[in-house]
Amino acid sequence: MRRRITDSQYKAGKEAPAPSAADVLLYLEERFGLERALFSDYGLYATSKGRIYIGPKRLVNHPRIATVGLLIARSQGAIKPSTNLLQLFGRQVKKNYVVLGRENAATFIGGTDVKVTSGEKGDASDGYVLVRYLDFSLGCGMLHGSDVRNMLPKAKRLKIAYI
Amino acid sequence: MEPRIPERFRERYLPVVDDPDAFLACLGELTPKSFRVNTLKSSVAEVQARFAGYGIGIRQTGWCPEAFVSDVPELGGTLEHFLGSIYLQELASMLPPVLVRKELETARLVLDACAAPGSKTTQMAAIMRNKGMIVANDIDYSRIRALKFNMEKTGTINTIITNQNLLHFPAQLQFDAVLLDAPCSGEGTIRKTDSVLQEWSERVIEGHSHRQKQLIVKAFDLLAPGGVMVYSTCTLAPEENEGVVDTLLRERKDARLENVSVPGFRLSPAIMEWDGAQFSEEVSKVARVWPHHNNTDGFFLAMVRK
Ligand SMILES: C[S@@+](CC[C@H](N)C(=O)[O-])C[C@H]1O[C@@H](n2cnc3c(N)ncnc32)[C@H](O)[C@@H]1O
Repeated sequence: MRRRITDSQYKAGKEAPAPSAADVLLYLEERFGLERALFSDYGLYATSKGRIYIGPKRLVNHPRIATVGLLIARSQGAIKPSTNLLQLFGRQVKKNYVVLGRENAATFIGGTDVKVTSGEKGDASDGYVLVRYLDFSLGCGMLHGSDVRNMLPKAKRLKIAYI
Repeated sequence: MEPRIPERFRERYLPVVDDPDAFLACLGELTPKSFRVNTLKSSVAEVQARFAGYGIGIRQTGWCPEAFVSDVPELGGTLEHFLGSIYLQELASMLPPVLVRKELETARLVLDACAAPGSKTTQMAAIMRNKGMIVANDIDYSRIRALKFNMEKTGTINTIITNQNLLHFPAQLQFDAVLLDAPCSGEGTIRKTDSVLQEWSERVIEGHSHRQKQLIVKAFDLLAPGGVMVYSTCTLAPEENEGVVDTLLRERKDARLENVSVPGFRLSPAIMEWDGAQFSEEVSKVARVWPHHNNTDGFFLAMVRK
């Protein structure tokens, strides 16, 4: 049985219209120091709902595509980077990250907001940040003063036993 | 404890298995917890070091450097699982991509014909180092959610998802490699779940067999000349395995089988005769995985070249 896919409709074979996708790349570079070149092997795609994906460089015209690659950001209103992007490219992030201790990291993975000391937040400024533990990239948080709001997707949150 | 195994199931398989007692005993035990290191996110050495730090004993298999068996069941509660650095997967289910690892390393266009929830899609993406392109297809939209989730978790970029009945898949595309991990009666997974046996019947097997024969021909037609296809199931039934491959050979004269071998993993020969019918000689190149040989699920593998 076939069902129609309504939430993300791709124009197969076509790159995203320049503004939104290009804006996202610019944002990632400015906010996190993630260089454009990191994504140069991939194609950039936007859905009508402002979701930006990286995927294979070229797509196919048939059959109809349900999803491409990896969601890197949502760009309705403000740009919001995805946890999956920050996990995958976390080691290349050069700024706007916070480094949590072990206990805080476990709390964050469980889905709770955490507080950071000025040492843990370094020179990160308010806004979206990469949350790290040691050199592991846990995902996306929203920094406000010393508060890190938890931006992990619900399905990813986990009661961690070994960290 | 032996699961409640239908009499007819015993009649079918005990005469063809090498060691019926070991086979039955094995069906009553759970499969060991296993995982593979996702090299898109981490390295084998790094995961080994982290697990040593946790005091979790893990054992690398001799046939796939990324594949491990673990002493403790709580792998799902590790940081590595959260990060997508490991992927929990039954060992036998890792065989199809391993079998064509060489081909995948250079493949440009790959079809995972029945892909959800994506254990093998994400494994192939790792082997391809996110290069080239995988079309991950599945007929069932509700299972595509899990496929999408697993792709994102593992950092799979080189893949697009399509939601088609494979039998209606557009014929224009030609793939360097095709994986047909077919829907099947799942007899090989009895160790995981009782439900397989509750629904077990030869009618069900016949139904799957009929569908698989259509799917394998269609999947073969999507292969580029020179391309390679793996046909796999997690069932023991010859009607769904050797019988399906035999049908392909009769319907497509340009289909050739290659010997299935995975060094370090014990594979068993095909069943060449079933229910009074004799399969073609070429079918002897396929391989069966009996659960008690490697302490895994039961499995079947065929490798087809165009
Ligand atoms: C054995 S499962 C695949 C498991 C998957 N390869 C993995 O490793 O995670 C078989 C899949 O085939 C799908 N399927 C069944 N009939 C199909 C068809 N005609 N076309 C495409 N997919 C189909 C089912 O929805 C199911 O997800």
